[in-house]
Amino acid sequence: MRNTYLRLLQLVTGILIAVLLGIHIVIMHLDAILGFFGVDVNDVTSWGSMIERARQGIWAGLYIALLAVVLYHALNGLRNVILELTPSARTERVVTWAIIAFGIIAFIGGTYVPAALLAG
Amino acid sequence: MRQIQPRRNYLGAVGWLWAGNYKLERYLYILHRITGLGILLFLLLHLMMTTVFRIQGQDVWETTMSILHNPWFKIGEYLVVIAFVYHALNGLRLILQELGFLMGRPIPPIYPYRDSLRKKRPWTIAMVAVIVILALVFFYDFIIGGQ
Repeated sequence: MRNTYLRLLQLVTGILIAVLLGIHIVIMHLDAILGFFGVDVNDVTSWGSMIERARQGIWAGLYIALLAVVLYHALNGLRNVILELTPSARTERVVTWAIIAFGIIAFIGGTYVPAALLAG
Repeated sequence: MRQIQPRRNYLGAVGWLWAGNYKLERYLYILHRITGLGILLFLLLHLMMTTVFRIQGQDVWETTMSILHNPWFKIGEYLVVIAFVYHALNGLRLILQELGFLMGRPIPPIYPYRDSLRKKRPWTIAMVAVIVILALVFFYDFIIGGQ
């Protein structure tokens, strides 16, 4: 029953990622096409442009939300791939907890830096 | 007396990369898994770049960016974008099918039987076409645009 909910969350986070990561990739990479539609992103990978976005709460919130859903989707997918080898119940528990621990560490590390930049 | 042999269709670990006689959708599944693991690998590198290197200030950031603007990294980024486009659209198709869309109404099993693949297959072809178009759009922008 628990795996059913994990699977449902996998679908929901998948749709969220398609939207959020779509925005992220279009802003970061499609500068010629955005310019055609009159949007000037002004050299997105430069330090100035990056800091300008990092100081705005909406961008920081968007990236932290993206990080959360991506980490869930990616690590749950990795867990599904590993558990397809049908290990013993003990190995399954070890894999699950290792992945949860890694996810929490990655989320804390990935949230600390935008929060520090947002604060100044 | 001739003994009936079991079908030799067990692929083992080879089945991770090769699906034998199965149809297109099974190969899309293998590609879905490969692109997913590839994007996960990129995510770890990307998180390193945006945390450990970014917090060290402007000089380290600009050095990192000048390394990442190397043409080989550009090709790698392009592959990651294509993997994302594929994974997203194929995932959308899988979600719609899992919820019962795109496969027509159920019909009674009266001969001649018709499976739902004849309803699903056109959507699969359309999805592949959209992926190819988006791959070309991104290719155009990776060549013309500088980012």
